[in-house]
Amino acid sequence: MMARGKDPAALIGLAVETIRVELQPALSPEKRYAAAMAANALEIAMRAVAVEDEAIDLELLDAFYEDGDGTMRQLARDIRSGKVSEASHPDLRRRLRAHLVAELKIRNPRFLASRGVKA
Amino acid sequence: MAMAPAGGRARTLDQSRMEVLAPWLAGEIGARRVTIRSAELLAGGAVQENWRIEVEVEGGQRSGRHTWVVRTDAAARLALSLDRVAEFKCIAEAAAAGVKVAEPIAVCSDAGLIGAPFAVQAFVQGSAQGRRLVRDPDLARFGDTLAQEIGEQLARIHAIRPQGGKLPFLPHPVGNPARRIVAELRASLDKASEPRPALEYVLNWLDRHAPQPRVLTLVHGDFRTGNYMVDGGRLTAILDWEFCHWGDPREDIGWFIARCWRFGNDEKVAGGIAKFASLLGGYNAVSDVKVTAGEVQYFEVLAAARWAAISLLQGDRFVVGGERSIELALTGLMPPEMEFDALELIERIEKGAGR
Repeated sequence: MMARGKDPAALIGLAVETIRVELQPALSPEKRYAAAMAANALEIAMRAVAVEDEAIDLELLDAFYEDGDGTMRQLARDIRSGKVSEASHPDLRRRLRAHLVAELKIRNPRFLASRGVKA
Repeated sequence: MAMAPAGGRARTLDQSRMEVLAPWLAGEIGARRVTIRSAELLAGGAVQENWRIEVEVEGGQRSGRHTWVVRTDAAARLALSLDRVAEFKCIAEAAAAGVKVAEPIAVCSDAGLIGAPFAVQAFVQGSAQGRRLVRDPDLARFGDTLAQEIGEQLARIHAIRPQGGKLPFLPHPVGNPARRIVAELRASLDKASEPRPALEYVLNWLDRHAPQPRVLTLVHGDFRTGNYMVDGGRLTAILDWEFCHWGDPREDIGWFIARCWRFGNDEKVAGGIAKFASLLGGYNAVSDVKVTAGEVQYFEVLAAARWAAISLLQGDRFVVGGERSIELALTGLMPPEMEFDALELIERIEKGAGR
């Protein structure tokens, strides 16, 4: 196991805690909002380092392309052109939704909770 | 669509420029003399500056003391937005149609006069802060009445029609207005750094299901909580007219009720302040073209797609443009939220589920 001092997630977590607990209460209301955004950005980064970002995309792409050939740009293009559609992939919408949920687990778990999705 | 400025902002209205502004104003309003007693930079202007000025007017129809606001043009305007002069003309047209706006006084397209094009409008009491409004402890008392009044006001905006050569600088839409928006959003996605397959799926759905407009009207283009002023629970003015265009009036209603503009007060569908029926009731009491809740669902999906695309581009100001703004960086991470909502809405529409 990685020593806590070298674990990026733990370090970012400490920075968030410092902003929230020590700094925010001492700031003016206007600066408090900026501090909250900074803490939010750090929390996103903390969740992102814990998950392989590419793994989320690959899980989606594997459903449409063989042997890791596809890219997100290719998939976006193929959906627009109709090459990838519900006619060719009846579970297209379900897979896109699952990908969004995976992204939102990193970017905004509170959003998922507000939509009744377990993060 | 206000975003935080990336760095320090220039102070447009210094003493020397006020000395230029006063005689210019006198000429514009037909006064013998205008004296600016004070000027104060207002908080909240993010891509533009808003200065509250206390003026004394001698001679002419506006003789007396007034509190006005000088709104300077943004240094970097969003694509598709009107310039300050065109926006001013839309506000004047809305005022003539009985819409509550900050009374337009004068407009200047010459960037040389005070450092940026600007408009002068009457100062209006109230707050436009959406997040604060939806959490107002008195919202239960005034929310539905406010939404009804907002609906009535929106119907007055939509009573402005292109017939008779009104606002000739606004381009006449070619083809279906909703499909035109889809095409614009696709074009903006082509410029974005991050591909969004889910958004492409939503845009395909919108393209396939675009309804024909029953009437073509002036569309505010950014009609939502946060873009109107409220004072003591009453509507005082509708703001931010820079996205005005001719289009399908249901676009404004869909934007107003979009989940992303309820500021977390999700159960209050009408902009986080009231039930949808209150907004629609006010709208249909005034509008000659009645709208049902069901037909707005499509435009709610369109609103989610539009905000997703805008967020992506705002994020690129950080990702690609290098602007050091944490607000821009966080906005750029938001598209999955709107895409998720859009997919849920599509699911509901296809199942024939109501609101």
